[in-house]
Amino acid sequence: MKESKVLTQRVGKYKPLDLKAYQAMDGLKGLRQALATAPESVIEQIKQSGLTGRGGAGFPTGLKWASAAQEKQEPKYFICNADEGELGTFKDKVLLDGDPWAVLEGILIAAYAIGAEKAYIYIKGEYKKTATLWEKLVDEAEKAGLLGEGILGSEFSVSLQVVRGRGPYIAGEEFALISSLEARRAMSRLKPPYPTEKGLFGKPTVVNNVETIANVPVILANGVEEYRRLGVEEDPGTRLFSLSGDVKNPGIYELEMGSGTLEELINEFGQGTASGQLIKAVQPGGGTSAFLGRASLGCRLTTQAIREAGSGIGTAAVIVYEEGKSTIDIVKGLLEFYGAESCGRCVPCRIGVVKIKEIIDTLSCGNGTAEDLARLRKIGKACVAASTCGMGQAFPLPVLSALELFPEDFEAVVQKVPA
Amino acid sequence: MKEFKTQTYQNLLKSSGGVTRENLFGFLGKVQDAFGYVPREVVCDLAIRTGLSEARIYGALTSYTDFKVKVEAGG
Repeated sequence: MKESKVLTQRVGKYKPLDLKAYQAMDGLKGLRQALATAPESVIEQIKQSGLTGRGGAGFPTGLKWASAAQEKQEPKYFICNADEGELGTFKDKVLLDGDPWAVLEGILIAAYAIGAEKAYIYIKGEYKKTATLWEKLVDEAEKAGLLGEGILGSEFSVSLQVVRGRGPYIAGEEFALISSLEARRAMSRLKPPYPTEKGLFGKPTVVNNVETIANVPVILANGVEEYRRLGVEEDPGTRLFSLSGDVKNPGIYELEMGSGTLEELINEFGQGTASGQLIKAVQPGGGTSAFLGRASLGCRLTTQAIREAGSGIGTAAVIVYEEGKSTIDIVKGLLEFYGAESCGRCVPCRIGVVKIKEIIDTLSCGNGTAEDLARLRKIGKACVAASTCGMGQAFPLPVLSALELFPEDFEAVVQKVPA
Repeated sequence: MKEFKTQTYQNLLKSSGGVTRENLFGFLGKVQDAFGYVPREVVCDLAIRTGLSEARIYGALTSYTDFKVKVEAGG
Protein backbone atom coordinates (compact mmCIF):
# COMPACT_ATOMS: atom_id res chain seq x y z
CA MET A 1 0.00 0.00 0.00
CA LYS A 2 1.31 3.45 -0.81
CA GLU A 3 0.07 6.99 -0.44
CA SER A 4 -1.86 8.59 -3.31
CA LYS A 5 -1.14 12.29 -3.06
CA VAL A 6 -3.99 14.11 -4.71
CA LEU A 7 -5.16 16.62 -2.12
CA THR A 8 -1.77 16.79 -0.47
CA GLN A 9 0.26 16.96 -3.70
CA ARG A 10 1.22 20.59 -3.11
CA VAL A 11 1.35 20.58 0.68
CA GLY A 12 4.63 22.08 1.82
CA LYS A 13 5.78 22.71 -1.75
CA TYR A 14 5.20 26.47 -1.76
CA LYS A 15 5.14 29.37 0.67
CA PRO A 16 1.51 29.61 1.83
CA LEU A 17 0.90 33.15 0.54
CA ASP A 18 2.66 32.67 -2.81
CA LEU A 19 -0.12 32.67 -5.38
CA LYS A 20 2.28 32.58 -8.33
CA ALA A 21 3.92 29.40 -7.07
CA TYR A 22 0.47 27.88 -6.63
CA GLN A 23 -0.48 28.78 -10.19
CA ALA A 24 2.77 27.33 -11.48
CA MET A 25 1.64 23.99 -10.05
CA ASP A 26 -1.63 23.89 -12.01
CA GLY A 27 -3.39 26.06 -9.45
CA LEU A 28 -6.64 27.83 -10.41
CA LYS A 29 -7.13 25.43 -13.32
CA GLY A 30 -10.30 24.11 -11.71
CA LEU A 31 -11.69 27.57 -11.09
CA ARG A 32 -11.06 28.64 -14.70
CA GLN A 33 -12.80 25.48 -15.90
CA ALA A 34 -15.73 26.18 -13.61
CA LEU A 35 -16.14 29.82 -14.63
CA ALA A 36 -16.13 28.81 -18.30
CA THR A 37 -19.21 26.63 -17.75
CA ALA A 38 -22.65 27.19 -16.25
CA PRO A 39 -23.13 26.70 -12.49
CA GLU A 40 -25.54 23.82 -13.20
CA SER A 41 -22.85 21.98 -15.10
CA VAL A 42 -20.40 22.42 -12.20
CA ILE A 43 -22.97 20.91 -9.83
CA GLU A 44 -23.56 18.09 -12.28
CA GLN A 45 -19.84 17.30 -12.38
CA ILE A 46 -19.64 17.21 -8.58
CA LYS A 47 -22.67 14.89 -8.53
CA GLN A 48 -21.06 12.61 -11.13
CA SER A 49 -17.81 12.55 -9.20
CA GLY A 50 -19.54 10.86 -6.27
CA LEU A 51 -17.85 13.20 -3.80
CA THR A 52 -19.19 12.83 -0.26
CA GLY A 53 -18.69 15.05 2.79
CA ARG A 54 -15.44 14.45 4.67
CA GLY A 55 -16.56 16.06 7.92
CA GLY A 56 -18.15 12.97 9.40
CA ALA A 57 -21.67 12.58 8.05
CA GLY A 58 -20.66 11.67 4.49
CA PHE A 59 -23.55 13.38 2.70
CA PRO A 60 -23.23 13.59 -1.12
CA THR A 61 -21.79 17.04 -1.88
CA GLY A 62 -23.45 17.40 -5.29
CA LEU A 63 -26.90 16.87 -3.81
CA LYS A 64 -26.29 19.45 -1.11
CA TRP A 65 -25.22 22.01 -3.69
CA ALA A 66 -28.14 21.24 -5.97
CA SER A 67 -30.70 21.73 -3.22
CA ALA A 68 -29.23 25.11 -2.27
CA ALA A 69 -28.92 26.17 -5.91
CA GLN A 70 -32.59 25.55 -6.64
CA GLU A 71 -33.75 27.76 -3.75
CA LYS A 72 -35.18 31.07 -4.93
CA GLN A 73 -34.23 33.09 -1.86
CA GLU A 74 -31.36 35.56 -1.98
CA PRO A 75 -28.68 36.04 -0.81
CA LYS A 76 -27.16 32.59 -0.47
CA TYR A 77 -24.23 31.79 1.71
CA PHE A 78 -21.37 29.37 1.50
CA ILE A 79 -19.53 28.33 4.65
CA CYS A 80 -16.30 26.37 4.75
CA ASN A 81 -16.25 24.44 8.00
CA ALA A 82 -12.71 24.58 9.35
CA ASP A 83 -13.79 24.01 12.96
CA GLU A 84 -12.08 20.67 13.07
CA GLY A 85 -12.95 19.40 16.50
CA GLU A 86 -13.56 15.67 16.37
CA LEU A 87 -11.16 13.84 18.69
CA GLY A 88 -8.23 12.38 16.78
CA THR A 89 -8.80 14.51 13.67
CA PHE A 90 -6.12 16.88 12.40
CA LYS A 91 -6.33 16.55 8.63
CA ASP A 92 -7.97 19.87 7.75
CA LYS A 93 -5.13 21.81 9.34
CA VAL A 94 -2.67 20.20 6.92
CA LEU A 95 -4.66 21.55 3.97
CA LEU A 96 -5.40 24.95 5.52
CA ASP A 97 -1.72 25.54 6.29
CA GLY A 98 -0.07 23.55 3.51
CA ASP A 99 -2.18 24.28 0.44
CA PRO A 100 -4.53 27.14 1.37
CA TRP A 101 -4.98 28.38 -2.20
CA ALA A 102 -6.51 25.04 -3.18
CA VAL A 103 -9.04 25.36 -0.35
CA LEU A 104 -9.78 28.93 -1.44
CA GLU A 105 -10.17 27.76 -5.03
CA GLY A 106 -12.66 25.16 -3.85
CA ILE A 107 -14.60 27.79 -1.89
CA LEU A 108 -14.81 30.00 -4.98
CA ILE A 109 -16.04 27.15 -7.18
CA ALA A 110 -18.64 26.17 -4.58
CA ALA A 111 -19.87 29.75 -4.20
CA TYR A 112 -20.10 30.08 -7.99
CA ALA A 113 -22.02 26.81 -8.33
CA ILE A 114 -24.66 27.59 -5.72
CA GLY A 115 -24.86 31.32 -6.47
CA ALA A 116 -23.53 32.58 -3.12
CA GLU A 117 -22.37 36.16 -2.92
CA LYS A 118 -20.87 35.82 0.50
CA ALA A 119 -18.66 33.08 1.87
CA TYR A 120 -17.27 32.44 5.32
CA ILE A 121 -14.49 30.25 6.58
CA TYR A 122 -14.99 29.35 10.24
CA ILE A 123 -11.62 28.36 11.67
CA LYS A 124 -11.24 26.50 14.93
CA GLY A 125 -10.19 28.88 17.70
CA GLU A 126 -7.14 26.86 18.64
CA TYR A 127 -5.75 27.22 15.09
CA LYS A 128 -4.60 30.78 15.76
CA LYS A 129 -1.71 30.83 13.28
CA THR A 130 -3.89 29.25 10.63
CA ALA A 131 -6.53 31.97 11.08
CA THR A 132 -3.87 34.70 10.85
CA LEU A 133 -2.53 33.10 7.67
CA TRP A 134 -6.03 33.05 6.20
CA GLU A 135 -6.65 36.68 7.03
CA LYS A 136 -3.52 37.54 5.04
CA LEU A 137 -4.54 35.13 2.29
CA VAL A 138 -7.87 36.93 1.85
CA ASP A 139 -6.00 40.25 1.46
CA GLU A 140 -3.73 38.69 -1.16
CA ALA A 141 -6.67 37.15 -2.97
CA GLU A 142 -8.48 40.49 -3.05
CA LYS A 143 -5.39 42.16 -4.51
CA ALA A 144 -5.09 39.43 -7.15
CA GLY A 145 -8.73 39.80 -8.16
CA LEU A 146 -9.72 36.38 -6.84
CA LEU A 147 -12.17 37.83 -4.34
CA GLY A 148 -14.52 40.75 -4.83
CA GLU A 149 -16.21 41.94 -8.01
CA GLY A 150 -15.76 40.20 -11.36
CA ILE A 151 -13.46 37.34 -10.42
CA LEU A 152 -10.88 36.49 -13.11
CA GLY A 153 -12.69 38.76 -15.54
CA SER A 154 -16.02 36.93 -15.21
CA GLU A 155 -19.30 38.29 -13.89
CA PHE A 156 -19.01 36.25 -10.75
CA SER A 157 -18.51 38.15 -7.47
CA VAL A 158 -18.04 36.86 -3.97
CA SER A 159 -16.47 38.02 -0.71
CA LEU A 160 -14.88 35.84 1.93
CA GLN A 161 -14.78 36.49 5.65
CA VAL A 162 -12.45 34.65 8.01
CA VAL A 163 -14.12 33.95 11.35
CA ARG A 164 -12.32 32.47 14.34
CA GLY A 165 -14.16 29.94 16.44
CA ARG A 166 -14.34 30.65 20.15
CA GLY A 167 -14.16 27.32 21.86
CA PRO A 168 -17.15 25.01 21.60
CA TYR A 169 -16.70 21.59 20.01
CA ILE A 170 -20.33 21.56 18.89
CA ALA A 171 -19.71 24.58 16.63
CA GLY A 172 -18.39 22.06 14.11
CA GLU A 173 -21.94 20.79 13.67
CA GLU A 174 -23.67 22.42 10.71
CA PHE A 175 -26.48 24.25 12.47
CA ALA A 176 -24.44 25.05 15.57
CA LEU A 177 -21.86 26.67 13.30
CA ILE A 178 -24.59 28.71 11.64
CA SER A 179 -25.93 29.79 15.04
CA SER A 180 -22.46 30.81 16.06
CA LEU A 181 -22.03 32.98 12.95
CA GLU A 182 -25.36 34.60 13.84
CA ALA A 183 -23.77 35.52 17.20
CA ARG A 184 -25.97 33.08 19.09
CA ARG A 185 -25.07 30.22 21.36
CA ALA A 186 -23.60 27.37 19.31
CA MET A 187 -26.49 24.92 19.34
CA SER A 188 -27.92 22.39 16.95
CA ARG A 189 -31.45 22.76 15.53
CA LEU A 190 -34.19 20.43 14.46
CA LYS A 191 -34.10 19.42 10.79
CA PRO A 192 -35.85 19.98 8.42
CA PRO A 193 -35.64 22.73 7.30
CA TYR A 194 -32.07 21.96 6.30
CA PRO A 195 -29.44 24.68 6.05
CA THR A 196 -29.75 24.52 2.26
CA GLU A 197 -33.32 25.83 2.70
CA LYS A 198 -33.10 28.01 5.80
CA GLY A 199 -29.53 28.37 6.96
CA LEU A 200 -27.51 31.42 7.92
CA PHE A 201 -29.86 34.34 8.70
CA GLY A 202 -32.69 32.19 7.33
CA LYS A 203 -31.15 32.06 3.83
CA PRO A 204 -30.06 29.05 1.77
CA THR A 205 -26.63 28.00 3.00
CA VAL A 206 -24.17 25.27 2.13
CA VAL A 207 -21.70 24.16 4.79
CA ASN A 208 -18.81 22.01 3.56
CA ASN A 209 -15.81 20.58 5.34
CA VAL A 210 -12.30 21.73 4.30
CA GLU A 211 -11.25 18.37 2.89
CA THR A 212 -14.48 18.08 0.90
CA ILE A 213 -13.84 21.50 -0.61
CA ALA A 214 -10.22 20.64 -1.42
CA ASN A 215 -11.53 17.84 -3.67
CA VAL A 216 -13.54 20.26 -5.79
CA PRO A 217 -10.74 21.95 -7.80
CA VAL A 218 -9.23 18.52 -8.49
CA ILE A 219 -12.51 17.26 -9.94
CA LEU A 220 -12.99 20.36 -12.10
CA ALA A 221 -9.37 20.51 -13.30
CA ASN A 222 -8.88 16.85 -14.17
CA GLY A 223 -12.42 15.83 -15.02
CA VAL A 224 -14.79 13.39 -13.39
CA GLU A 225 -13.41 10.34 -15.15
CA GLU A 226 -9.85 10.96 -14.02
CA TYR A 227 -11.07 11.66 -10.47
CA ARG A 228 -13.01 8.41 -10.32
CA ARG A 229 -9.99 6.38 -11.40
CA LEU A 230 -8.97 6.38 -7.77
CA GLY A 231 -11.07 4.72 -5.12
CA VAL A 232 -13.99 2.33 -5.51
CA GLU A 233 -17.31 2.75 -7.28
CA GLU A 234 -19.35 3.93 -4.27
CA ASP A 235 -16.38 5.66 -2.64
CA PRO A 236 -14.28 7.47 -5.22
CA GLY A 237 -11.12 9.45 -4.63
CA THR A 238 -8.79 9.55 -1.67
CA ARG A 239 -9.10 10.43 1.98
CA LEU A 240 -6.79 11.94 4.53
CA PHE A 241 -6.48 9.48 7.39
CA SER A 242 -5.42 11.00 10.71
CA LEU A 243 -3.60 8.15 12.42
CA SER A 244 -3.04 8.56 16.15
CA GLY A 245 -3.05 6.75 19.47
CA ASP A 246 -0.68 3.91 20.31
CA VAL A 247 1.28 3.83 17.07
CA LYS A 248 4.97 4.48 16.47
CA ASN A 249 4.42 6.86 13.59
CA PRO A 250 1.24 8.89 13.89
CA GLY A 251 0.37 11.38 11.17
CA ILE A 252 -1.72 12.22 8.13
CA TYR A 253 -1.74 9.70 5.32
CA GLU A 254 -3.64 10.28 2.10
CA LEU A 255 -4.86 6.94 0.82
CA GLU A 256 -6.94 5.82 -2.08
CA MET A 257 -10.31 4.57 -0.85
CA GLY A 258 -10.36 0.79 -0.61
CA SER A 259 -6.66 0.43 -1.42
CA GLY A 260 -5.77 -1.26 1.82
CA THR A 261 -6.97 -2.45 5.19
CA LEU A 262 -6.99 -0.93 8.65
CA GLU A 263 -4.19 -3.28 9.64
CA GLU A 264 -2.02 -2.20 6.71
CA LEU A 265 -2.57 1.45 7.57
CA ILE A 266 -1.54 0.85 11.17
CA ASN A 267 1.42 -1.41 10.41
CA GLU A 268 2.83 0.09 7.22
CA PHE A 269 2.31 3.77 7.90
CA GLY A 270 1.99 3.78 11.67
CA GLN A 271 4.79 1.18 11.94
CA GLY A 272 2.85 -0.86 14.42
CA THR A 273 1.91 -0.20 18.01
CA ALA A 274 4.01 2.04 20.20
CA SER A 275 5.25 -0.64 22.57
CA GLY A 276 4.99 -3.56 20.18
CA GLN A 277 1.94 -4.98 21.97
CA LEU A 278 -0.98 -6.38 20.01
CA ILE A 279 -3.70 -3.98 18.96
CA LYS A 280 -6.70 -4.19 21.24
CA ALA A 281 -9.16 -1.82 19.63
CA VAL A 282 -9.40 0.85 16.96
CA GLN A 283 -11.74 3.77 16.50
CA PRO A 284 -11.73 4.24 12.73
CA GLY A 285 -13.68 7.49 12.52
CA GLY A 286 -12.77 9.76 15.42
CA GLY A 287 -13.67 9.81 19.11
CA THR A 288 -17.39 9.27 18.56
CA SER A 289 -17.03 6.15 16.39
CA ALA A 290 -17.63 2.64 17.69
CA PHE A 291 -14.64 0.47 18.57
CA LEU A 292 -13.52 -2.27 16.24
CA GLY A 293 -11.74 -5.24 17.75
CA ARG A 294 -8.74 -7.21 16.45
CA ALA A 295 -11.06 -9.42 14.39
CA SER A 296 -12.02 -6.43 12.22
CA LEU A 297 -8.50 -5.24 11.40
CA GLY A 298 -8.68 -6.85 7.97
CA CYS A 299 -11.49 -4.43 7.14
CA ARG A 300 -10.93 -2.52 3.90
CA LEU A 301 -10.74 1.25 4.10
CA THR A 302 -14.08 2.14 2.55
CA THR A 303 -17.16 3.70 4.09
CA GLN A 304 -19.20 0.59 3.45
CA ALA A 305 -16.67 -1.95 4.72
CA ILE A 306 -16.16 -0.05 7.97
CA ARG A 307 -19.91 0.29 8.41
CA GLU A 308 -20.37 -3.44 7.86
CA ALA A 309 -17.66 -4.13 10.44
CA GLY A 310 -19.84 -2.24 12.95
CA SER A 311 -18.40 1.26 13.07
CA GLY A 312 -18.23 4.34 10.86
CA ILE A 313 -15.51 6.06 8.84
CA GLY A 314 -16.60 9.47 10.20
CA THR A 315 -13.71 11.91 9.80
CA ALA A 316 -11.29 9.05 8.99
CA ALA A 317 -9.43 9.64 12.24
CA VAL A 318 -8.02 6.25 13.15
CA ILE A 319 -7.25 6.00 16.86
CA VAL A 320 -5.34 2.89 17.92
CA TYR A 321 -5.36 1.36 21.41
CA GLU A 322 -2.97 -1.39 22.46
CA GLU A 323 -3.61 -4.51 24.46
CA GLY A 324 -3.38 -3.88 28.20
CA LYS A 325 -5.67 -0.87 28.21
CA SER A 326 -9.14 -1.13 29.63
CA THR A 327 -11.89 0.25 27.44
CA ILE A 328 -13.47 1.62 30.62
CA ASP A 329 -10.53 3.98 31.03
CA ILE A 330 -10.70 4.93 27.36
CA VAL A 331 -14.39 5.77 27.36
CA LYS A 332 -13.98 7.60 30.65
CA GLY A 333 -11.56 9.96 28.93
CA LEU A 334 -13.83 10.37 25.92
CA LEU A 335 -16.87 11.07 28.11
CA GLU A 336 -15.03 13.71 30.09
CA PHE A 337 -14.66 15.60 26.84
CA TYR A 338 -18.14 15.03 25.43
CA GLY A 339 -19.75 15.68 28.82
CA ALA A 340 -18.23 19.15 28.85
CA GLU A 341 -19.18 19.82 25.25
CA SER A 342 -22.85 18.86 25.04
CA CYS A 343 -24.64 22.07 24.03
CA GLY A 344 -27.56 21.20 26.29
CA ARG A 345 -30.21 21.70 23.68
CA CYS A 346 -31.80 18.26 23.87
CA VAL A 347 -32.44 16.15 26.91
CA PRO A 348 -31.04 12.76 25.81
CA CYS A 349 -27.60 14.21 25.14
CA ARG A 350 -27.55 16.77 27.96
CA ILE A 351 -28.62 14.33 30.67
CA GLY A 352 -27.53 11.12 29.01
CA VAL A 353 -23.90 12.09 28.77
CA VAL A 354 -23.78 12.93 32.49
CA LYS A 355 -25.58 9.75 33.53
CA ILE A 356 -23.37 7.55 31.34
CA LYS A 357 -20.29 9.24 32.72
CA GLU A 358 -21.50 8.72 36.31
CA ILE A 359 -22.02 5.01 35.68
CA ILE A 360 -18.59 4.66 34.05
CA ASP A 361 -17.03 6.47 37.02
CA THR A 362 -18.82 4.16 39.44
CA LEU A 363 -17.63 1.15 37.46
CA SER A 364 -14.05 2.33 37.32
CA CYS A 365 -14.02 2.81 41.12
CA GLY A 366 -15.13 -0.81 41.47
CA ASN A 367 -18.54 0.02 42.87
CA GLY A 368 -20.60 -0.92 39.83
CA THR A 369 -23.08 -3.76 39.51
CA ALA A 370 -24.49 -5.80 36.64
CA GLU A 371 -27.56 -3.57 36.78
CA ASP A 372 -25.34 -0.62 35.93
CA LEU A 373 -24.30 -2.34 32.72
CA ALA A 374 -27.94 -2.76 31.72
CA ARG A 375 -28.58 0.92 32.49
CA LEU A 376 -25.58 1.91 30.38
CA ARG A 377 -27.03 0.08 27.39
CA LYS A 378 -30.48 1.56 27.92
CA ILE A 379 -29.36 5.17 28.29
CA GLY A 380 -26.83 4.85 25.47
CA LYS A 381 -29.43 3.52 23.05
CA ALA A 382 -31.88 6.26 24.05
CA CYS A 383 -29.30 8.94 23.30
CA VAL A 384 -28.52 7.42 19.90
CA ALA A 385 -32.21 7.23 19.03
CA ALA A 386 -33.47 10.55 20.37
CA SER A 387 -30.74 13.18 20.04
CA THR A 388 -31.07 15.93 17.45
CA CYS A 389 -27.55 16.18 16.15
CA GLY A 390 -24.65 13.92 15.28
CA MET A 391 -22.92 14.40 18.60
CA GLY A 392 -25.75 13.09 20.77
CA GLN A 393 -26.36 10.27 18.33
CA ALA A 394 -22.74 9.23 18.30
CA PHE A 395 -21.04 9.81 21.66
CA PRO A 396 -22.57 6.64 23.25
CA LEU A 397 -21.27 4.43 20.41
CA PRO A 398 -17.82 3.81 21.95
CA VAL A 399 -19.50 2.80 25.22
CA LEU A 400 -22.06 0.54 23.56
CA SER A 401 -19.45 -1.10 21.33
CA ALA A 402 -17.07 -1.60 24.27
CA LEU A 403 -19.86 -3.46 26.12
CA GLU A 404 -20.30 -5.74 23.11
CA LEU A 405 -16.68 -6.31 22.16
CA PHE A 406 -14.91 -6.26 25.51
CA PRO A 407 -17.39 -7.53 28.14
CA GLU A 408 -14.40 -8.83 30.12
CA ASP A 409 -13.30 -5.25 30.85
CA PHE A 410 -16.64 -4.59 32.49
CA GLU A 411 -17.02 -7.96 34.20
CA ALA A 412 -13.60 -7.47 35.79
CA VAL A 413 -14.80 -4.43 37.72
CA VAL A 414 -18.43 -5.32 38.40
CA GLN A 415 -19.14 -6.28 42.01
CA LYS A 416 -20.32 -9.80 42.50
CA VAL A 417 -23.51 -9.46 44.49
CA PRO A 418 -24.19 -12.56 46.64
CA ALA A 419 -27.49 -14.19 45.71
CA MET B 1 -4.61 42.35 29.71
CA LYS B 2 -5.17 45.73 28.16
CA GLU B 3 -7.27 48.48 29.59
CA PHE B 4 -10.47 49.31 27.74
CA LYS B 5 -9.83 52.40 25.69
CA THR B 6 -12.65 54.03 23.77
CA GLN B 7 -10.22 55.10 21.06
CA THR B 8 -9.05 51.53 20.42
CA TYR B 9 -12.66 50.45 20.20
CA GLN B 10 -13.50 53.24 17.76
CA ASN B 11 -10.56 52.19 15.60
CA LEU B 12 -11.80 48.61 15.59
CA LEU B 13 -15.22 49.80 14.49
CA LYS B 14 -13.69 51.86 11.72
CA SER B 15 -11.43 49.08 10.42
CA SER B 16 -14.38 46.66 10.34
CA GLY B 17 -16.51 49.05 8.36
CA GLY B 18 -19.21 49.15 11.01
CA VAL B 19 -21.03 46.36 12.79
CA THR B 20 -24.19 44.62 11.67
CA ARG B 21 -25.74 41.32 12.72
CA GLU B 22 -23.85 39.79 9.78
CA ASN B 23 -20.40 40.41 11.19
CA LEU B 24 -21.24 40.72 14.89
CA PHE B 25 -19.67 37.39 15.88
CA GLY B 26 -16.41 38.17 14.09
CA PHE B 27 -16.37 41.67 15.56
CA LEU B 28 -16.89 40.44 19.12
CA GLY B 29 -13.85 38.25 18.48
CA LYS B 30 -11.79 41.27 17.50
CA VAL B 31 -12.84 43.06 20.70
CA GLN B 32 -11.92 39.97 22.72
CA ASP B 33 -8.50 39.78 21.03
CA ALA B 34 -7.85 43.51 21.50
CA PHE B 35 -8.79 43.78 25.18
CA GLY B 36 -8.66 40.22 26.44
CA TYR B 37 -12.36 40.48 27.28
CA VAL B 38 -15.54 42.03 25.95
CA PRO B 39 -16.30 45.04 28.17
CA ARG B 40 -19.83 45.79 29.31
CA GLU B 41 -19.75 49.17 27.50
CA VAL B 42 -19.09 47.34 24.24
CA VAL B 43 -22.02 44.97 24.70
CA CYS B 44 -24.22 47.99 25.38
CA ASP B 45 -22.97 49.85 22.31
CA LEU B 46 -23.27 46.83 20.03
CA ALA B 47 -26.84 46.23 21.20
CA ILE B 48 -27.75 49.71 19.98
CA ARG B 49 -25.87 49.28 16.70
CA THR B 50 -27.38 45.89 15.84
CA GLY B 51 -30.84 46.32 17.34
CA LEU B 52 -30.36 43.19 19.42
CA SER B 53 -30.94 43.20 23.15
CA GLU B 54 -28.01 43.39 25.53
CA ALA B 55 -29.23 40.20 27.15
CA ARG B 56 -29.16 38.38 23.83
CA ILE B 57 -25.55 39.38 23.12
CA TYR B 58 -24.41 38.81 26.69
CA GLY B 59 -26.14 35.43 26.80
CA ALA B 60 -24.40 34.30 23.63
CA LEU B 61 -21.02 35.65 24.73
CA THR B 62 -21.01 33.84 28.04
CA SER B 63 -21.75 30.50 26.38
CA TYR B 64 -18.36 30.53 24.62
CA THR B 65 -15.36 29.41 26.64
CA ASP B 66 -12.99 31.69 24.74
CA PHE B 67 -15.02 34.86 25.34
CA LYS B 68 -14.54 36.65 28.66
CA VAL B 69 -16.84 39.32 29.98
CA LYS B 70 -14.56 40.64 32.68
CA VAL B 71 -10.89 41.02 33.38
CA GLU B 72 -9.59 37.76 34.74
CA ALA B 73 -6.77 37.58 37.24
CA GLY B 74 -3.56 36.49 35.62
CA GLY B 75 -5.10 36.60 32.15
